[in-house]
Amino acid sequence: MSKHTTRRELLIKGGLGLGGLALNGLIPGGLNAAYASELANGSADPLAPKPPHFAAKAKSVIWLHQDGAPSTLDLYDYKPQLEKLAGQEVPASFLKGIKTSTQGGVGKLYASKRSWKQYGESGAWFSDLLPNLAQHADKLTFIKSSVTVGATHDISILKLNTGDLNPGRPTLGAWTAYALGSGNRDLPPYVVLYSGKKEPSGGSVNWSSGFLPAVYQGVAFRSGPSPILYLQPPELVALAQQRDNLDLLKRLNQHRAARYPQDTELQARLNSYELAYRMQAAAPESVDLSKESDATKALYGLDEEATRDYGTNLLRARRLVERGVRFVQVVTGAVDIDGEDQNWDAHKNLERNHAVHARAVDKPIAGLLADLKSRGLLDSTLVVWTSEFSRTPYGQSGNGRDHNPWGYTQWIAGGGAKAGFTFGETDEIGLKSQGVTVDTYDLHATVLALLGLDHLKVTFLNNGRSERPTVVYGEVIKDLIA
Amino acid sequence: MKKVHGILLFSLGLAASTAAALAADEAPAAKAATASAAKTWWSYEPVQAPAAPAVKNRQWLRTPIDAFVLARLEEQKLKPSRDADRATYIRRATLDTLGYIPRPEEVQDFVNDRSPDAYEKLVDRLLSSPHYGERQARRWLDYARYADSTGFQNDQTRPNIWRYRDYVINAFNSDKPYDQFVREQIAGDELYNGSNKDALAATGFLANYPDNYNSRDLIQRKYQITTDMVDTVGEVMLGQTIGCARCHNHKFDKISQQEYFQLQAFFANTSELNDIPAGLGPQELVYQAQQAKYQEATKEIRAQQKEILDSVRDKGLQYHKERYLTDSREAIFKPKEQWTALDRWVNHRLDNVTTDADIAAYLKLSAEEKDSPELYVAENVEKWAKFKKLSEDLKQYEDLKPEGGSDKITAVGELGHADAPPTFVLFGGSHERPLDQVQPGFPAAIARGEQPVIAPPLTALGNAYSSGRRIALANWIASASNPLTARVYVNRVWNDYFGRGIVRTVSDFGRAGEKPSNPELLDYLASDFVSHGWSVKHLHRQILLSSVYRQASDYRPELQKADPENKLLAVFPRKRLDAEQIRDSLLVAAGQLNETIGGPSVFAPLPDAIKAGNLWKVSKDQSQWNRRSLYIFTRRSVAYPMLQTFDMASPQQAHLKRDVTTTPLQALTLYNNELVFQWSQQLAGRIIREAGRDESRQLDRLYEVLFARKPDAQEKATLLSFLGEHESFIKNKVVDGKLALAEPIGVKDAKGLDPIRASAFVDLVHTVANSNDFSYRF
Repeated sequence: MSKHTTRRELLIKGGLGLGGLALNGLIPGGLNAAYASELANGSADPLAPKPPHFAAKAKSVIWLHQDGAPSTLDLYDYKPQLEKLAGQEVPASFLKGIKTSTQGGVGKLYASKRSWKQYGESGAWFSDLLPNLAQHADKLTFIKSSVTVGATHDISILKLNTGDLNPGRPTLGAWTAYALGSGNRDLPPYVVLYSGKKEPSGGSVNWSSGFLPAVYQGVAFRSGPSPILYLQPPELVALAQQRDNLDLLKRLNQHRAARYPQDTELQARLNSYELAYRMQAAAPESVDLSKESDATKALYGLDEEATRDYGTNLLRARRLVERGVRFVQVVTGAVDIDGEDQNWDAHKNLERNHAVHARAVDKPIAGLLADLKSRGLLDSTLVVWTSEFSRTPYGQSGNGRDHNPWGYTQWIAGGGAKAGFTFGETDEIGLKSQGVTVDTYDLHATVLALLGLDHLKVTFLNNGRSERPTVVYGEVIKDLIA
Repeated sequence: MKKVHGILLFSLGLAASTAAALAADEAPAAKAATASAAKTWWSYEPVQAPAAPAVKNRQWLRTPIDAFVLARLEEQKLKPSRDADRATYIRRATLDTLGYIPRPEEVQDFVNDRSPDAYEKLVDRLLSSPHYGERQARRWLDYARYADSTGFQNDQTRPNIWRYRDYVINAFNSDKPYDQFVREQIAGDELYNGSNKDALAATGFLANYPDNYNSRDLIQRKYQITTDMVDTVGEVMLGQTIGCARCHNHKFDKISQQEYFQLQAFFANTSELNDIPAGLGPQELVYQAQQAKYQEATKEIRAQQKEILDSVRDKGLQYHKERYLTDSREAIFKPKEQWTALDRWVNHRLDNVTTDADIAAYLKLSAEEKDSPELYVAENVEKWAKFKKLSEDLKQYEDLKPEGGSDKITAVGELGHADAPPTFVLFGGSHERPLDQVQPGFPAAIARGEQPVIAPPLTALGNAYSSGRRIALANWIASASNPLTARVYVNRVWNDYFGRGIVRTVSDFGRAGEKPSNPELLDYLASDFVSHGWSVKHLHRQILLSSVYRQASDYRPELQKADPENKLLAVFPRKRLDAEQIRDSLLVAAGQLNETIGGPSVFAPLPDAIKAGNLWKVSKDQSQWNRRSLYIFTRRSVAYPMLQTFDMASPQQAHLKRDVTTTPLQALTLYNNELVFQWSQQLAGRIIREAGRDESRQLDRLYEVLFARKPDAQEKATLLSFLGEHESFIKNKVVDGKLALAEPIGVKDAKGLDPIRASAFVDLVHTVANSNDFSYRF
């Protein structure tokens, strides 16, 4: 007991605030004596870079969340049997063990008007909705036996990002920032990008630090030249004037801090204004595309209306990982389709919906992969294409598809993933995964492993419980790793 | 990764955060705890009333608390710190009790009060201020995961839930005994014949759970809601991580999985009620009058809409109900006379979340989906077109709707029956894997064999209207013999004042938590609290008047070695202000705080970059924007950024301790935020107004307002020389002609005021307000 107590005492900093952060957690990689003693005397910096548990393959993650749940049956998961059985009831054997809704009629299998082709040496199938991405078939690692929980978007999006169906846990990005610290002190370690007229579904709980300290939460980068809230000095304060103010602030703080010579938290607050001052310049620069060549912009589809929004976010994402940001979460936005704002959620009129959304993302994602590759960044950047769930092989409302958490496709690329490889499969009609399945926790564990982190050892003591990113689940899918 | 053909260990239907099977294995105290599991645990032992220990330095003692602290210090041969000066004390005490900085006049009065009971008078004034309740309520609302909306995708407004917030404010202001406060929040609907409206609003504590109204799986939802309630009560009121026992027997504490589900059984019949009429006060009357105006103006349009919807209502409802999953549909489509208690719950839930919008959604689909023979109804095309047109017409009257407010209460309650749905032990915590049925029961280790006596409460006519389960639980928790309730609460209050609890793990009094650093002090506080009628104000008063609390926070080198974490409290711990204290104090300094207490939550403007749309309709009345922070609408999916950045509570789960992080985003938020800058302009105007044109006096006044002290000679010299030099920066800017000058706001007679110098003064004020001395209390 005493040994454990000592360990906790070393690692947990109390509220007295002798340091920069009342940190209640453990440090990844177990007890690092130097860091622990810094924490104990309060001088630890919560965003200081920390070593991974083992050699990392990826330094950064770009997490491409396709909001609304695209039908991977119409993108990657080619099912000749579905085309054959289209129009028939779903054979009862396929429905065993799952709970469905009956709205809009369950039963009639539905095939869309796709044409399919195999690409690359790996021979991966792509539908005609993704002609550009298909050119990168050999860079991708497909996970075709994905499973999750949930019948509505909100809870499953939460699970996708935090591992839980209820809000309150940290997201994978927050855990990453916590475990690895910052790669560039002039920028936040965890950035969220999204487009569209509205905030993404479920809002900021999907980039929340949960029970981790707020310093690890995702920072939403807004469109336009000033991506962070309050990044520019007040309108009536010129930059030089602000600098003079900050110098005064430093003098005032230093004068008073002399009364508390051991107080590193006060010192940290003093420094935070200098960091903020640098961020004022670094953050706009990180999203300033004016220095990008026309060719690069075209690669991401910035020259076309349909692809400009998403392409801009992906080009920003590349610039951010280039500058050491650890985790960039990019959420697709709603697009105006025939007068209605829609995300990928095609309960009806899937043809129209998916044509628009696939067009919006296909070229930008292909561009991102090509660009990362040509800059030598693909090896150190893990790209994850994911969604809260996917869509059913049976139709809904005649020409749409309902939600499918039982079997669908995600893919990863770069960052140490096994390129040109397909893992797992769904049943013959693409309803349920079969064989070895991959749940959210397994994906999270695998992403962390590529970042050099053992998901069992990334822990944080919260209200008496040692919490980890994968809750009580998760297994690294070694087959996905090169 | 799991094999489909293997055993499905966890069919995850639930809050995984509470399923801490493996995670628990890793908690540090695990092995030691298991080894000593046979012994009882300190926090399950009855509270003692220890006598104050003998100490040498008896002069130092002001309240019994002091003896318990001093005895430890003397053991270590340490001396307590000197008393803080009066100005420091009043700034500290005002922030701690009311949540913002004191006015300079209040500081002056106290400093100059030579009467022997000056401190007592001050503390009495603070504790009787109506703003005391606001500050204390904010702490409690953290625990209650309070929000004004449901969260999740649609994040619906809970239009009545602010009544719960006001209940909490009033409870603290009226010094409602804590045991009664607890009872009402758990079972206010079952107490008082279910007729006490305040007690009904109190159950908002339970009704505050995050919820997705569009859930298609109502069986799972019920389980998630019940889990939220029981885990929240366990963590907040009992300081127990009982949720650990949902998937397996608790690894450290003697709470079995069966006992966990026995606790869930107390809540098995608990439904959300949103339609209880509120008492009619001014707010309600204004709301109703405005509502009547809207209703009257739109009577014709709405009647026509209703007629259209009525013509498709049955089919629309049928269509809507089909969206629910298999086991939910069983309850939904069952004839009413066959309903079990569970079916009643499901159908009540369905009613709660079904609106005309669902019928309209069906009408739209049935009119538009030509390719769907099951759905398409040709005659609905015209109906939909007409309905759509009417909806457009209706939008013109949007401004007539009440902006906020309500005339209803949100509470939890049962549905008028004495029976309750069965509760089962669930294998691995999965609601799809029920094992044995259980009845309500208390964890044996804590209750020492006491078991609930459950009697359904009766109406005046003698009919059972409820199962009486929660009343039994509430009485046990709020009993003087419960070993946890009082200890947990006094420890929370101690934590708020001293930055760390006597038990540092404020939410875990179990074996994975820490033991109390001063168990006698904890038991003294708990027993004294109970013997003083669970008076929260008495508890605060004792702490505020103690010598421990009165100590200075000055640096003492010898303590760095002897007690680096200040566990023994030989020095007062300085603390960063929390999010609400920072914003509210800035408003006080600027003279802009709207001190109105209570009422519907308000929407202060968000930065333009946040596109929250209908989720954030800014309050029209601008004076509402400067209300205290606890009145800013808590939208679960859209945090108010200025507060969020400073570690405000997350409303997703019980938030039991605020973090303190120091980040550059905080610096940006205070330094670059136009709103804060405007407050600095107003503060500058106030200073000139109150101190006149003499710059030395201005600086004195500025420091008195912000820090309750005058600047020292060096500070004053620094500031005066800054003003001179800074003028050149301002002049350069004007020569550029690009920027206008930031002037002090609210100077009565600006004649003779040099605009350049005045603008430099605004920068000075803004900078001083950003300094560490403002954001900390020492």
